[in-house]
Amino acid sequence: MKSKVKKFSVEPYTYLIPSILIFSIFLFYPFFKTIYLSLYKTDKMGLPKKFVGLENYINLLTSKSFYNSLAVTLIFVAIVVVGSMVIGLAGAVLCNKAFPGIRIFSTAYALPMAIASSSAAMIFKIMLHPSVGILNKILGLNINWVADPKYALVCVALLTAWLNSGINFLYFSAGLSNIDETIYERASVDGASEFQKFTRLTLPGLSPIIFYTLVVDIIQAFQSFGQVKILTQGGPGESTNLIVYSIYRDAFFNFRFGSAAAQSVVLFIIIMALTLIMFKVEKKGVKY
Amino acid sequence: MKKRVVASLLTVAMVTSVMTGCGSSTETAESTETAESTETTENTEATADTGANVESVENADEITAMDESQLNGTTITFWHAMGGVNGEALDYLVNKFNEENEYGITVVSEYQGSYDDAINKLKSAQLGNMGADLVQVYDIGTRFMIDSGWIVPMQDLVDADGFDLSVIEPNIAAYYTVGDTLYSMPFNSSTPILYYNKDMFEAAGVEAAPTSFEEIKEVGDKLQSTGVEEVISLSIYGWFFEQFTCKQGLEYVNNGNGRDSYATAVSFDENGAALNILTAWKDLYDNGYAPNVGRGGDAGLADFSAGKSAMTLGSTASLKQILQDVNGKFEVGTAYFPTVVEGSEGGVSIGGGSLWALDNGDDVQKAATWKFVKFLVSAESQAYWNAQTGYFPVTTEAHTEQVFLDNIEQYPQFQTAIDQLHDSAPQYAGALISVFPEARAIVETEIENMLNNGVSPEDTVATLADQINASITEYNELNY
Repeated sequence: MKSKVKKFSVEPYTYLIPSILIFSIFLFYPFFKTIYLSLYKTDKMGLPKKFVGLENYINLLTSKSFYNSLAVTLIFVAIVVVGSMVIGLAGAVLCNKAFPGIRIFSTAYALPMAIASSSAAMIFKIMLHPSVGILNKILGLNINWVADPKYALVCVALLTAWLNSGINFLYFSAGLSNIDETIYERASVDGASEFQKFTRLTLPGLSPIIFYTLVVDIIQAFQSFGQVKILTQGGPGESTNLIVYSIYRDAFFNFRFGSAAAQSVVLFIIIMALTLIMFKVEKKGVKY
Repeated sequence: MKKRVVASLLTVAMVTSVMTGCGSSTETAESTETAESTETTENTEATADTGANVESVENADEITAMDESQLNGTTITFWHAMGGVNGEALDYLVNKFNEENEYGITVVSEYQGSYDDAINKLKSAQLGNMGADLVQVYDIGTRFMIDSGWIVPMQDLVDADGFDLSVIEPNIAAYYTVGDTLYSMPFNSSTPILYYNKDMFEAAGVEAAPTSFEEIKEVGDKLQSTGVEEVISLSIYGWFFEQFTCKQGLEYVNNGNGRDSYATAVSFDENGAALNILTAWKDLYDNGYAPNVGRGGDAGLADFSAGKSAMTLGSTASLKQILQDVNGKFEVGTAYFPTVVEGSEGGVSIGGGSLWALDNGDDVQKAATWKFVKFLVSAESQAYWNAQTGYFPVTTEAHTEQVFLDNIEQYPQFQTAIDQLHDSAPQYAGALISVFPEARAIVETEIENMLNNGVSPEDTVATLADQINASITEYNELNY
């Protein structure tokens, strides 16, 4: 009997050291330091100077600007996630058939993932320019897209949706090729329409992938930064002041690390809560 | 089975991405922070030590006493924020100095990104004492640099060498001079001017460029009657707001515009400066003369260059770019920066950057830094710099250089900028505020709100004052 009780051995734990080390340096240490900083006010160098307890949080939760950031971020995330998934899925479904030139189309749909957000934003800045931009020329309109609070957020969000659609396209394509072709043949024999095949066969078959991209897209959308920095700098007014951008402003522009850290912690809580909710929902909706 | 494997792989990937996802969001606020905490005490001492200036004055004698042969083999590091064409011109000057200087000094120039990036990197680097010997910092970083305790006032180096400061444009030097001490050496300076489309003006029978917002409206009516759709493309830019304040001869903040002592509150609300500006601005906007073209210094330039708007406001440093973009489609005229209140007495202040010598405790380095600074502000270098970039020659001696004369002949529009600067006076040098970058952003945001959401100028002034005062108060409480 005694031989069945495992002896404590150091060896397996040593295998953990490299990853724990990297996680500690790049994730755990900054994480706890952020929480620590969020309880202080910092001086012009960004060093903690005065302990203020929860004041940074209280200031945040009573500030109109913060609620505006939250609202703007949620709208932004909704547009980006829906947009990027629809574009990615549509592209993947279209490219799931074999026809001449398929490679060109696949590459085109996957391409956004190879474009850096800041360079895309710079190109869009020119395209959206009210007097020399191509968009106004084509549509024959005279709208200052990024300087008008009605359109600025939508423009930035659609740009981000397009950027994120590339990787979604790739995931969905992989997911589609994984669905057994014969079930479509059987469905055809049963007289199912294309639409029925899509909603009854394709979507359920893709559900694990859809869930995965949903979670990743939401997290990614929350962290969008380069586009806002280049296209709108949070403006006009505060209509595109996403939380991450607001954190950046506070930390590296105003050198108020305390308040920036408090916002980071709130953002962390939001993302964590959303992720937990999604994992709960996953158990019901996703079929493996 | 296959699907199982795929699913479990996905789950693993998902979990990792969730973790890194959350990680990087909290990390943003963190990256410059690491490895700083141990220095807290030392650093606060340095900041509190206003006597640093006195010390460095004593050092001045040592610098003179030093034998120049000691400079041989010295390497100094120069941080700058000039990219693109300006960066190339600066590199040319640095290389020239390295090749030609007789002391054996080598300058290593390092591009640090935008002005904001450069000063932020400096903040982090100084905590570890690994910064540069000479740094280019923007105008609005001046108060921060003076208070930082890291610098040797340029005046010390000037005095040690017996350099004649009167050759430096007095209205430029005034900006960087606080209490008779020149803290940094002006290097790339510009002022804002009015650009106008001469062809449109002629077609409308307008002879003189407008000098005030009221005149812009009058001229605008004539222009509009000849079919000009956009009278002025006026970008929402904090610097313009500051300049409109200077043009009224009024102060932005208290305590002598932040020059007698550090500012404790804005004064543009009480002295009416801001209300004048915003009322006039909103009036132009509401009556369709100045549509909202966006935010930032160059937001209005494209409309002008494309021949859409008849006028725009911009920095003198944009002149070359504008002429290049217009490319002879129409004749570009330049005029003084307009006032918001007719007949107000004031002048323009400058923008741009200056050179700060950092105190690394090494006199040889300091002496070498000075040799390089002296080279950069020499007539020859400044004439070249002006011709390549459109910034002012900071030294009046450059006006006799052939390069300068050729340039002014080719771009006679530049003369306006020089005249305007000479017509200004040192007392309109503009404000010094520690939280200037933030204040400027607040001004831009609130002007946008005023134009887009129909907020009244009075309410906008109140919000501006509240927000900027709050950040000044917090800054002062934590840092002085």
